Parts: sequence; structure tokens; C-alpha cells
Amino acid sequence: MSSAAPPITSDAPSLAGRVDRRALYAWIALLLAVMGIGAAAFLYQFANGLAVTGMRNIVMWGQYILFFMFFVGLSAGGLIVASAGRLFGVGAFKPITRLAVLEATIAVILAATFILPDLGRPERIINILLYFNPTSPMIWDIAIVFVYMAMSAFYVWLYCRADLARRGSWLALGTGTSERTMAREERVKSVMAWVALPAAIMLHSITAWIFGLQISRGFWYSSIMAPMFIASALVSGLGLVIVLALILRRLGRLAFPDSLVAMLGGLLGAFIAVEAFLLLAEYLTALYPGAPEGEAAARMLSGPYLPLFVFEVVVGLLIPFLILSQRRLRTSPVWVATAAAIGIFGIFVHRLNLVLNGLSYPNIDLPPGLPVGTPQVGSSFSVYTWYVPTLVEWLIVAGILAFGALLFTAAVAFLPLQEPDAH
Amino acid sequence: MGTDRRTFLKGAAGAAAAVGVGSLLPLIDPPGVKAARDYDVPASLPVDRVVRTTCSPNCTGSCGQLAFVRDGLIVKVQQAADYPDAVYNPRGCMKGLCYLNQIYGEDRITTPLVRTGERGSGEFREATWDEVLDQIATGFKAIGERWGWDSIHVFGQVPGSGYIQKGANYRASALLGLSHGTSFDFNGDLPMGMPITFGVQNAEHEAKDWANSRFLLLLGANPVETRIPDVHFLFDAIERGARMVVVDPSFSPTAAKADAHLRIRPGSDAALGLALCRQVIEDGAWDQAFMAAYTDAMLLVEPDSGLRLRASDVFPGGAETNFVAWDTTSDRPAEIGIERLGVPAGVAAALEGTFEVGLLSGATVAAVPGFELVRRELQRWTPERAAEVTGLDPDAIVRLARAYSGVKPAAILMGGGSNHWYHGDLTGRAFALLAALTGNIGRSGGGFSVYVGQYKVRVDTSSWWSPGGAKAHVVPSIYFVRGRTETMHPDVPYPEQGWHGLFCTFANMFVQAMDVNRLHETLAGLDLIVVVDHQMTETVKWADVVLPATTWYEKTDLTATPLHPFLQLQQPAIDPVGESRSEVWIWHELMKRIDPAAAAEFFEVDEDAAIEAILESGGAAGGPTEGITLDALKQGPVRLNVPDPDVAFKAQIEDLVPFPPRSLPAPLEATAAFVPTGRIEFYKEEQRFRELGEAVPTWKPPFDDETHDPGAWPLTLLTPHSKWRIHSSYANNAWLSEIHGGRPEVFIAPADAEARGIETGDQIRVWNTRGEVVAWAHVSESEQPGSVTLYEGWWPRQFARGKGVNELTSSAVNPIHEVHYVANMWAPSTGWKDCRCQVEKAGTADG
Amino acid sequence: MADGKVAPVDALSPASKAWGEIGPRSAAPHWGMVVDQERCIGCWSCAVICKSENDIPLGMWWNRILTEGDSLDQPEVVRGGALEMQWLPLACQHCENAPCVKVCPVQATYHRSDGLVMQDTDRCIGCRYCMIACPYGVRNMNWGAPDRPTPHETGMVGARPLGTVEKCTMCVQRLAEDQVPACVWSCPAGARVFGDLNDPEGRLATLIREREGYELLEEAGTKPSVRYLPPRRRSPL
Repeated sequence: MSSAAPPITSDAPSLAGRVDRRALYAWIALLLAVMGIGAAAFLYQFANGLAVTGMRNIVMWGQYILFFMFFVGLSAGGLIVASAGRLFGVGAFKPITRLAVLEATIAVILAATFILPDLGRPERIINILLYFNPTSPMIWDIAIVFVYMAMSAFYVWLYCRADLARRGSWLALGTGTSERTMAREERVKSVMAWVALPAAIMLHSITAWIFGLQISRGFWYSSIMAPMFIASALVSGLGLVIVLALILRRLGRLAFPDSLVAMLGGLLGAFIAVEAFLLLAEYLTALYPGAPEGEAAARMLSGPYLPLFVFEVVVGLLIPFLILSQRRLRTSPVWVATAAAIGIFGIFVHRLNLVLNGLSYPNIDLPPGLPVGTPQVGSSFSVYTWYVPTLVEWLIVAGILAFGALLFTAAVAFLPLQEPDAH
Repeated sequence: MGTDRRTFLKGAAGAAAAVGVGSLLPLIDPPGVKAARDYDVPASLPVDRVVRTTCSPNCTGSCGQLAFVRDGLIVKVQQAADYPDAVYNPRGCMKGLCYLNQIYGEDRITTPLVRTGERGSGEFREATWDEVLDQIATGFKAIGERWGWDSIHVFGQVPGSGYIQKGANYRASALLGLSHGTSFDFNGDLPMGMPITFGVQNAEHEAKDWANSRFLLLLGANPVETRIPDVHFLFDAIERGARMVVVDPSFSPTAAKADAHLRIRPGSDAALGLALCRQVIEDGAWDQAFMAAYTDAMLLVEPDSGLRLRASDVFPGGAETNFVAWDTTSDRPAEIGIERLGVPAGVAAALEGTFEVGLLSGATVAAVPGFELVRRELQRWTPERAAEVTGLDPDAIVRLARAYSGVKPAAILMGGGSNHWYHGDLTGRAFALLAALTGNIGRSGGGFSVYVGQYKVRVDTSSWWSPGGAKAHVVPSIYFVRGRTETMHPDVPYPEQGWHGLFCTFANMFVQAMDVNRLHETLAGLDLIVVVDHQMTETVKWADVVLPATTWYEKTDLTATPLHPFLQLQQPAIDPVGESRSEVWIWHELMKRIDPAAAAEFFEVDEDAAIEAILESGGAAGGPTEGITLDALKQGPVRLNVPDPDVAFKAQIEDLVPFPPRSLPAPLEATAAFVPTGRIEFYKEEQRFRELGEAVPTWKPPFDDETHDPGAWPLTLLTPHSKWRIHSSYANNAWLSEIHGGRPEVFIAPADAEARGIETGDQIRVWNTRGEVVAWAHVSESEQPGSVTLYEGWWPRQFARGKGVNELTSSAVNPIHEVHYVANMWAPSTGWKDCRCQVEKAGTADG
Repeated sequence: MADGKVAPVDALSPASKAWGEIGPRSAAPHWGMVVDQERCIGCWSCAVICKSENDIPLGMWWNRILTEGDSLDQPEVVRGGALEMQWLPLACQHCENAPCVKVCPVQATYHRSDGLVMQDTDRCIGCRYCMIACPYGVRNMNWGAPDRPTPHETGMVGARPLGTVEKCTMCVQRLAEDQVPACVWSCPAGARVFGDLNDPEGRLATLIREREGYELLEEAGTKPSVRYLPPRRRSPL
């Protein structure tokens, strides 16, 4: 049955009375505090070098890159769902379209932000502009991230501007409220949809190609990387949109029927199935010959990585799928939200496994291994590394997440997020 | 809906086009990416100067190094690679190249120190030179007056690595009447088989000669780890078609380079040698003429008394110093003189059989040629019997004998692995016999060479070491560690009142001495312990007074090695670090306080003057230093006047000059007494040899089996030399520790580990009745079951419980090594590897 | 020089200098190196002198010697039951088709016309993508401020900035003086040969031909300028 909550019109005041003002201020203060600590941690890292992280010469990409690719996925997933909903005329998606696009925008902003603390010399970032290398997937990714960031920000504004104009907000940037303008809106939104969908797919494929084109990393060097990244993006992105939507509905900022939740839950289940299939295809192909090329994949199935692999598959994929494939459970938003949250976490672990297992064991693993990179007690060499992020990394990540939460809070506060069912 | 689908398809097509173009991107070659760019690169940073000196730990490398100095600091050490014959270049090894860490590292001692806590606590306070020198002078005088000056033991390592600075120890000891210790024998490096057989301290072929061999038999030798600057000569030989066989209980890095590896049971090498000799004779592949001409093979022995027949016993007017052989041509005894080797013209000397010889006294004796007695022993050593003792395949023994004897020239390279045993002399004698049987002595590419320490005195150092003709009393330092034995040779000037003082210089004695617990008993009775060093070692921790020493980059010295024929200088590249001083300066200052007259007469010379005096004394025509000037040495290495290549016993083999050649610094007569026949001796007539059943080479089980029943102590503890250290030098070097981990490991065979539940990385306890040590296990196929390897030289602070491996080694003295006494030449040689032990996983409860 | 200092090559004796001379080369040399696994004894002299020449801090090694065995300097049992052990020195291979050059976002790593792969540590942003791309694992990041066993800076080149990536430079500062890289000078066993790969009669080409020199990770298509000579066949008793 549909939700009993009254529909919220776009004329509602920005700070709805359902939200306790003191709680909101406390929330914002908390976010600012975490951001401050993150900034301090970043300055500490800048002064002392990346040695304050858990990364070293063997696992030289860690927490920051992990969150970068995770948030690119969240972003792409959100935008794909929003655009596909529009393109395939799934009207039921309308209520959450603006949220999905907003989520995509903030997620990609965060993704870009995560790169900054990963650089050894962040103040030299201007070199990317001055000396860019057109053959580097990283340059492709930086290019598309900024294009995509601008595009999705525009997309958010595009969806909101009519309501902003009607409200008389300066954020409308001079948009008219005439009938002709409103009619043009739909056409512009359609154009955006079929620009945004391939853009989102390209964004995440290019991010996948940062890894998947490297012949040096056997665990990554596979044509399935781009499709798998897209599949992961769909699971995590849609999952996040579901969770955020339900939170906003509780806060009174969004209204939609439970049937939408069930539909999204079903869609998420399908996405999970695709992800599982791609995972199966990749592992089967890697393991079947029993050749050295499959060693990296084999390591996921034993030793320290096995629990992570089990988590990725059982907790991250199997359990949510079992939940979401039950029609009865899908009707319960709580079950769907739970499955979505677990699925998001599972995708994070999937990406973690990808990065860490891809790096932990170098190609040439003869003893004594690679130099670790910083002075050690005992040998400076290691054949493999078990990467553990340090407190500094967690604090910086937390700071950036808090920044994202702050952006989201502001957007929720000031933007009209409910896409009306009819004009 | 239709519009949307059309627009979507248009959009999808557009997107596909974009993707298509984008995917071509990597194939585009934009200018500036793939194209090369030749930007300027910064030049090498400039330096103040580059100083050519010589790296000189006790490794026999004696490698020229360049010290690059910038702003008064050494910023790089690199091989000089300036040998006049480029085939020697570049020499050097990774240790010498990171010596700057020793010069400037945290363990460098920069001021004199005086002990404030208990001995061994390592608690010191800084002091001035005046204070410590006064304290030592006073202390020495007190000991000298009460116990005698000879009760002060001066322990310095092999002087071959520094004729002037280490020579100052001898010079001062001679003037003050101190007991100077020994090192070559103490280190176990004195290959007693050599003085016993050849009458020399040692006589190796220079490493360059390895390249001339067609067959290289490496016996307990691991040049890939321990002769890094010279190992390329082995590869040169192999490139020319030589084969290399390694005999070693462990699969060493050298075994990895060999054509064959014979994994011999530890302590059984002599059995192999004897079996090889027997096989060579059996195959008819032995050189009878060589044996007759150069060895004591033909000299008749009277079996009952065990003595050789003297010419004076048999021939009227025969000299007492001459000997007798049996001439099969005339069927009569023949007199054999000692002025010249060879066989007298017209004589066909018998090497086997029994002959009735009439003595002048009227009696008749059934005499046998010495070789007959050798042969009787060899007959016992069938391949099967040797296989039982050595654990080798009997067929492999036969094939080895045939491979070695089947090609000429063939070289035997013996190392510490075979020599560092109580009965190492028997091994040496057996393999010397093998070389002699095949005529491989005294020829390029051949030889029986034992490579161990940098003991060799290649020039006449008496002008510096024997001031005014006075000579230092030299007492084998093993007698310092464990006290005298009952069989100690009477010529050993052991102090009547025992030991009461120690001056330990440039030696990590308390880590590297055998039977360390026993040493500490001696130390407890000392009034004064002085240590001179540049690193804060365990030995330094036990001192009463510590004197900071200069390294080879901060002083002048003269050095040589048996491994190559070049004389080289050490020249200071920088000023002494901190308040460190050279040994010459230290002794000068001490002498001033003890005997100012002697100081004025003998110690007011500088190193340059001492070097010039040495060069001059060997500079006569034909002398080793003829034409060598100090100026020439300052430019680089100068070749001594020795044969090229420098092979052993050339004059003996080619010119029939009797054995032995002189072993500097001893007078010729001293070591000639070892081989009264003037020949290579395989039969030893000294009473003790006969009493112990070692008159001819034989095999005896490891001596430690007499104190440690193999049943209860099933493992042999091998303590070979590691490539990462020169003994205990460099154990604390940061760069090297980065590579090997800085933690002592015990290499143990999988079977032995499994039986004890031990895995790699476990802390394990290694112990016997003499002591124990706790280190980390490393299960490896390189080990054979029944032995474990713990490379020597780790500092106690690197072990788990702060003790060193030498707590387990033995200070037993082989009475054969006391039959004669010439310091460092016939003296007790330590048997490090004669050491049984047991191993178990170490509990964490008892710490 | 102005402050009384000299270029190090000018301070060498003629004999020392002669040891390091690069020797004959073609008109357009492509510098390369041959590493002889038969002669390599795993002594790490080349790795240590590299550390010394280039003032490489603790924890970092541009050059390392791998053991083809069970662990450092320990043999492995091969199929057939025998024990074997070889050594494999590994540093930047200066690939003609370098993956690192392809991916560096700021072109801080680039090709030189004589074949070397260079690293501009003044431009490097420390993103470590080149380390990801390198199949040999020979690149090092300056994770922290340099730590040395000596209180002073050492070596013949300046220290690199914190947060940048560095690697073997083939001692370009020595090549400019017509001197071979430090590792080639210092190998006591004669296992390293430096020269011009473009010279068909040169020492490198001859060695590669006669000893069947091979490329490491040939299947990755990197076209390295370093070739290895395999160990000889043994002739047992």
C-alpha cells in the first residue's frame, strides 16, 4: 500500500518543521568538527609525507584510491539509475530522480576530493593541467570526472530550477516560470538523460581502465574490469539512493510510495545478480587453467584474503540477493534498506579485495622481495604486504565523508528534491 | 514514448561514437609523449678530493678503495680498480662499499671511555686522553711490578692487514716485555696440515691462478661468500672449460655454482681425501717420479722405532742430517742429501716394499720406504669404507678421483669449512697427498691451497716489529682463553704468574673467542682490561678503559695479502673522527708514560718512515720490495717481486730447492725444523705423531665426540663465515642489515626441524655442555640432517638472549699442534666446527 | 672549480678512470646492460654502491638481488629433486615500451633519445601510477623524509623531494662523464656489462647472441634494455 504520509509540495519552506533545529545545528557542528580534524590530519600528512599512511612500495594505493573508486561508482550508479529511469520512461522513479542526481553530484565531488590526499606532492597538482599525458588513463579519468561533475551539477540544477524559480530563490539563476519554459524543461531533461547515461558509463569505465589496462597487475588485467565496475556501481549507487531516499522520507523531505521501494529493491536484486555473474565469469576464467596467470585469483580463495572473499560474496551478494528476491520482503522498506546497506558495504569490500589483492603480491615475488620504502626493524624487504590503513588515513577519509555529508545536508535543506508526479 | 526511444538511440549512437574515438586515443602518438626528450641532467656533485686507500679487515681481500670526500666528510667509498693488471679489477665487495656507515654510524666511539658500572654493564663515562693513558700506564706498571710484564696479554688480529699499525703492537710489546698474542692460529685459520707436510706457515696460490686450472676441487671452501673479490677467477676458469666440484656438508652458494656438489658428513673430509688417494694409485694415475723427487716417499723408515734411517746409521761418513733410500737398480741403500731435491742420478728409488738394511752398528733392520707406510693406511680407505664415514656415494668418490686425476693442472682449494676442525691437520695432509700424487704441486693452475686469513707477512717487517733487535714474546692466545695445557710446548713463553692484564685492540675477542664462558673465567682474574676499537662492540662493553681508534680511512698503514701480489698503502682520507687516534699514536703516548727513553728512541717515528724502512730491508736485488718506493705506493698498488702468477713452491719444484721456503717473519731454520728431510713429508717421525697414530695421514672422528656423546648430542654446530660480515665486523651495518634482516638464524634441515616441531621463524635454543644461544630457526634444504649452521660473527645483542654462538665452541688443544712451537706457524689451531649440540624450540616462559 | 672542489671523475687516477670508461659505441647509441646470471654471486655490491652513489635513504633500494630459491641465499628443490639456486639482480629495465611512461599523468617519466627512461622528480606529483604500471616493481616512493645511517648526505647526486617517485637512473651523471654506471664499476665478479645495444659488433650484442640473453617478463612486451644471460649448463661427475 502507498505510504500514508502527505505529499510534500515544492512550496514547503526549506527548513521543514519536522526537523529539530537544535539537532540540525548539532549535526552540522559535528560535521564541521570532523572536517576540521580531517584537515588537520591532512596537514600532518603533508608535513610528514605519506609514510604516515599504511601504504608502502608494494601496496602503494590504499584507502584513498579505494574511496575514490568507490565514490565514482556510487556516483555513476546514481546517475545511471536516474537517467535510465527517464530514458526508459519508468515514471515510478520520478520521486527519487532529483535525489539520485544530487547523490551522483556529491559523490563525484567527494571522489575527486579523495585523490588530493593521495598525492605525494599535492601542491604540484597544477602540473596535471600544464603537462597532461594523453595516453594516461588517469588523465582521461580526471578529464571525465570534471566534465561529469559539471554535467551532473547542471543536471541537479536543471531538475530543481523550475521549483526554485517558483519559490523565487536566487538559485534559479533567472529561470523563468512561463509555460513555454516549463514545456522546454522536459525536452532539456530528456537530452540530459541521454548525455548523462553514457557519460556515467564512460566515467566508470575509464576509472576501471586505470586498473584494467595494466599488464603489470594480473588480477586487474582483464576486459571484464569495465563491465564489473559498472555492475558494482549499479549495486552500490542504487543501494545508496534507496537508503538516502528512505532517510529523507523519514525526515519529511521526500514522499513516495512503498511500491517504489519494492521496485527499486527488485532492480537492485537484478543488479546484484549481474555483479555475481561477472564475478563468477572472472574467477572461473582465471582459475580454470591452473596457470600462473590465475595465481592472484587463487590467493583470494585461501589464506588471509579468504574471509574477505567470503564476505564479498556471501554477505555482500548472496544475502542481499536472497532478501531482495523475496517479493514479500521487498514490500518492507526496512528489509530493502537493510539489503541495500549490506550490498553497499559488500561492494566496498569487493573493491578493497580488487585493489589490495591486485597489489599485495608483486609479479616478481622472488625472495627477499621488494624494498618496503621506509626504515624497518629487520629486513627492509618483503615479498608481500598486508596493508592496514592508519589512523591518519581514517581521519582524512572521515573528514572528506563529513564534507560530503555537509554538502548533502545543505542540499537537502535548500533544494526542492521532490520531483512532482505531474505538472 | 517513441520520441524518447528515438532520441535515446540517437544519444546512444553518439555515445558509442564518443567511446569509439576515445578508445583510439592510446594509439595516437601525440608529440611530446613517445618522442624522446633530452633535457640537461645535473652533473655529479663535486668533491674536495678523492683519496686512494685500502680496505683491510681480516678477509684477505686487501682491495683498493677510493674515498670521495666532500666538505671534509666521506660521501662515498668505491673500489679503486687501479691494479696494473686489469684482470684483478675491480676487487672489493659490498661490505667495504658501505664502510662509511661504520665510520659515521651510531656505534662509532669518538672519545676515550672509563668504566663506571660493573664489568660488562656497558656503563662508561667520557674521559680525556691524558686521563686514560695515565690510567693504563699506571695499571700496566702495577701489573708489571707485581706479576711481571709478560702477564699482560696484547691481543690484536692478524698483522697482515696492517703491518704498521698492528705492527705497533708488536713493537711496543717487544720494548715492554708484554706477551703479544696470536691470531692466525686463534682464528683456526692456521692450516696445521701445511707446516706438518711442507714446513711452512701456509702457502697458497694467488687467486689469479685459479683461472689457469682445468679442474677445481673446493673442499670446505665457499669463495662465493668469502672470497668475493677473487671469485671471478673461478668463473674465468670455468669459461675456459674447467670443471668445479664442491665438497661441503651444506649446499652453499658456491655449491650452487658448481658442476657437482658432494654433500659430505661434517668432520669426515680426511676419509674422502684418503679414499681419493687410494683410488688414484689404484687407477695407476699417480706420478711416481714426482713422489720420489719431491716427497719423503722413498726415505726409509725403521718401523719398530718409527724413526727414519739416517745416512750416519748406514754409511760410513754419512751425514746425520742425510737420509737413506733403497736403490732398486743396485739393490742397495742410497744416501739422500738434503741440499737438493730430486733423486740422485742413476738411482731408482723404491717407494714400496720392505728391505733389509745393514746398519753400521752391525744390526740389520727391515726398513720400509715412508710411502709404504702411507700406502698401508690408504689401503683401508676403499670407496665403500669412505662412503660409510662420509655419507657419500662410493661411486661418486671414484668418479671424483678420476675427474681430478684425469686432467692437468688440477687445483685443490681448501677453506675454513674443512680446516676449522680439531683434526683439520689430518684433512690437510690427506689432500696435500692427493695433490702430490698427481704432481699438482708447484705448477700454475694446480696446488693444494688453503685459503683462510690475512696472516701473511710478505715483507721483512723486522725494522718495525723488532726495535733494536728486541722481539716480542708471543703466546698463543688460546692459552689466554683457557690457560696452559699439560702438553704445551716448552718454548711457549707462558707467563709464570699467569694472566693479569689484557690490551685488546681491533678485535672483538669476547664475541669471537672460542669457549667464551671459559674466557670469562680468565677475564675475572684480570686487574685491567683495555680495549681499543672504533665500534661499540660487546668486547668494548667489558673493558675498564676504552680507547677510540681510527679506521683505515683516517690513518696510514702498509698492507698485503696472500690472495694477490700487490703491496698497498692505507692513506687518510679524512681527519680522525672525534678524538680517535691511531695505534701508533696510542703506543707512543703510552710508552712516554712508561719508558720515556724507549719512547724517544723507538716511537718518535711516523708511519711513512716506518714504511720506508720496511721497503728498504726487502729492497735488495731480488728482494720482494726491490724498486718499490713510498711515492709509488701513494699512487696506487705496486706489485711485489714474486713470480707471476704467484704460485707456491715454484722454486722447490722447478729448481729443486729444498722445502721449506721461508715463512716471514720467522727465520728459515725455525720452520725448516718441521720438515727435517727438506722434502714434502707424509710420514712424521716425531714421537707424539706415532703415539697418537697419526704418523701417516689418517682419519679420526670429530674430537668433540669425546666430550659430547653423539647419541645425546645428535647435531653438529657449524659456524661458517658469512658473506655479510668479516667475522663480527659489519654485523651492525645498517645497509647490510636491511638486506639480511639483522637477526641470527640457525639453518636446520627439514627432517631435524620436523622432529623437533620447529618451523622457520621460531625461536630456538642451541646448546651443549659449554654454553647456549637462542636464535631464530630457518628450515632449509641447504642443510643436511645431523648438522645445523649458525654463521659466526653475530653480536650478542642481536641474539634473543644476548649471548653469542661461541659459548658453544671448544677450546680443546690438539697435542699434535704442540709438537713444535713457532708463533702462528706451528701452534694450536682452533677447531671451531668440532662442536656438538642439541636444538629445541625455545620457550617464552624463561625469557 | 670555484670553491676548490673538483668533478669526481677529474679526481680519479688514470688507471681508475680507465676502468670506468664506457668504450666504443655506435653513432646513435641505445644504452643497455647485460647481467650474467652465471657470474652473479648475489653479493649485493652493485645494490650497495647504487645506494651509496645516489644517496638512497634507509628503506629504499633502486637495485636489489633476488634469489631464485626458497629464500634469501637458500636453494630450492626443483622438479627432479635437485637443489638449485641462482641470483637475479633487478633494477629499472629502461624499457623501450615503458608502461610507466604511458601512464604518468604529468609526463614526469619520459624517454631519452639514448633509450633511458628518465624520472623528473621536480615535476612528479607522487601519484604512484608509474609504480602500479611497472611490472618489475623497481620504482620507489619517497614516503617519508630520508633517514640515513650517516648524519650527513652522501653520494654524488642531490636528494630527491619528499613525496616523489624515483628509480634507477642508469647513473646519468656518470654517463655524462663517459663513465659506466656505478653498479657496473663495482661488480666484483664481472657480471654486469654496459654498452650500446645498437652496436651489432659491440660487447652487448655479442654476449646476447652467444649466451642466449633473455628478457625478463618478455610476455609483457615492455622491450627492456636490460638483458640477462642464463647460467651455464652444469657437467656433473
